[in-house]
Amino acid sequence: MSGDRNWSGWLRGWRPAVSMAGRNLRRNRVRTVLAVLGVCIGVLAVAALGIFGNVLALGADDAIGDIGTQVVVSPNADAGVESLSEADVAAIRRAVGEPAVVPLYTDNAVVGSAGGQTFATVYGVEEPGLAFEAADGRLPERHRRGAIVGAGIAEDLGLDAGDTVEIAGRQIRVVAVLAESQTFSPVAPDDAVFLPESAFSADGYNQVLVVAESGEAARTAADGIREEVNAREERVDLFELAAVVDEINGFFDLLSRFLLGLGAISLVVAGVSILNVMLMSTVERRQEIGVMRAVGVTRRDVLRVLLAEAGLIGAAGAAAGTLLTVLLVAGLVVSTPAVDIDLVLDPTNGYYLLLALVFGVGVGLVSGAYPAWKAANERPVEALRS
Amino acid sequence: MTYSVELRGVTKRYPGGGGEPVVALDAVDFAVEPGEFVAVVGPSGSGKSTLLNVLGLLDDPTEGQRLLGGTDVTSLSVAERTAARKESIGFVFQDFHLLPTLSAVENVALPTAFDPGDATDRAADLLDRFGLGDRLDHDPSELSGGQKQRVAIARALINDPAVLLADEPTGNLDTETGEAILAEFERVRAEGVAVIAVTHDPLVEEYADRVVELTDGVLVGGVVDKGRDRGGDEGVDAAERDDTGRDDAERNDAERDDTGRDDAERNDAERDVTEDRRPVTPSEER
Repeated sequence: MSGDRNWSGWLRGWRPAVSMAGRNLRRNRVRTVLAVLGVCIGVLAVAALGIFGNVLALGADDAIGDIGTQVVVSPNADAGVESLSEADVAAIRRAVGEPAVVPLYTDNAVVGSAGGQTFATVYGVEEPGLAFEAADGRLPERHRRGAIVGAGIAEDLGLDAGDTVEIAGRQIRVVAVLAESQTFSPVAPDDAVFLPESAFSADGYNQVLVVAESGEAARTAADGIREEVNAREERVDLFELAAVVDEINGFFDLLSRFLLGLGAISLVVAGVSILNVMLMSTVERRQEIGVMRAVGVTRRDVLRVLLAEAGLIGAAGAAAGTLLTVLLVAGLVVSTPAVDIDLVLDPTNGYYLLLALVFGVGVGLVSGAYPAWKAANERPVEALRS
Repeated sequence: MTYSVELRGVTKRYPGGGGEPVVALDAVDFAVEPGEFVAVVGPSGSGKSTLLNVLGLLDDPTEGQRLLGGTDVTSLSVAERTAARKESIGFVFQDFHLLPTLSAVENVALPTAFDPGDATDRAADLLDRFGLGDRLDHDPSELSGGQKQRVAIARALINDPAVLLADEPTGNLDTETGEAILAEFERVRAEGVAVIAVTHDPLVEEYADRVVELTDGVLVGGVVDKGRDRGGDEGVDAAERDDTGRDDAERNDAERDDTGRDDAERNDAERDVTEDRRPVTPSEER
């Protein structure tokens, strides 16, 4: 009977239903507004907490994202390897292929200038340009003379390119100041000074930094080193941050889910309030529904009217809640300079907004379903009996 | 000819509180012709509402047969019953039962509200006929009792039903308005619609072609059967009333000739033919 019903026919049946539903909702405005408010708050909670968690996760990703791209290779002291030779470095280069390999000498020294003095890590590096960027001055292709100073040290000691710094009692000219590191790196370049390799008299490197383009490439490089360099003997230790990054990302994922769950609870409460409103309203309108059924309105059409009512409450609440969320987030960005606008405007936040909107309408329909079904299926004889 | 609506040996039992089922209708034979106005009277609790519900396809009989325009509609599915109500039956209630959110014209069009096409024009015409042409967009709260009942009658007629069922149609109206409403029923009847009114109101009995009495679920004079006199005195009474009713109808027809309502004429003609043939009552059939 209803098998050949097509889409336009199906849609057409909803138009009078929605119109009648709208009028029914206007009958008890206070009750309707309160139900809409409930959904609005629920949607606001889901959207705002969802976006909040997402911004946190994005921010963390932004801050630590690059550490997964670095692999630190150090000699395995347990196997009696004290330092890495040129041969080891060459083996590492062969093993990793594409990514840049930056061997480092490492020491500690007191670094001083007219602005004071501090204790810093001193690295010996030949090709600083492979791993770092300069904020002031220029990084030499081959580091032959002078000192490259990390951003933190430069700030502490008030150093600029061209100044002179005293390292372990020697006066050395600053050729460049590094840009502040955007990432967490085990090398901690901000609090380090980089000297030419010739400044060190050690016979091997203390560590080798492998800088890859992506976390995936870093992992491949680390696997390559394990297979090639550590094939016969565990010569090197690998310090990979990709796994740590995964853990951290996992945590933020959990955090966002948790926040979303909190929001969902309030949306469920809103759903219960719609259920309540719809039940009350169908009980009050029992006779009217009975009359509709008696004069030949089908159960399906009665169901449509009542579902449309619940859906309208859900949609209105969801729309208001979404709008409120946008305003709230905008207000947060304006009032809190610490929040990065790029993170807030990230398209994934739109996904949470959409999710909350869909949930709001969905909650309306789901909680309206039972009262609607109940009312539509009541026998008109019973309903008409006052 | 076929009756507009007919019950054959219909019994309706409800599960009682104690264990004994309550018999609301007891082997009721009832038949109404097109264009006949029948009043069903009886004390409260005699089963009048049940009779109306069974006739109106709102409730199913426990036993017996129910026919609508000669078609057996005893056991239909819920959807089929809804469709049959919409197509063939109009309801008028004591409390009017208009939807407060809909205007007069929308209330009239309510049975067709979910159908393709717009019945607004038809609804407006009907209201116009009942003298409410200037109140189309009024809400029910802005209408008087008599006006509301006229809207309800118009709603009952929107799908050109074969049967109009009225439950105490004048119960909430003063005498004057009640009389006006009954005059409207008279017009509806004259168009060939079978009108059945359940009532306490003596005024309704005056307008009816036939009055049948329901007592404790037993209906007296449900089927007109002048020849065999099976209803006793009551039956003869009813038959006589029937005749007078016919006269009324003919008189009405004459009046209507000016406006040219062919339907009513045809119905009347049909009735004349069948008078000689005498409908066979179901009890005789079995």
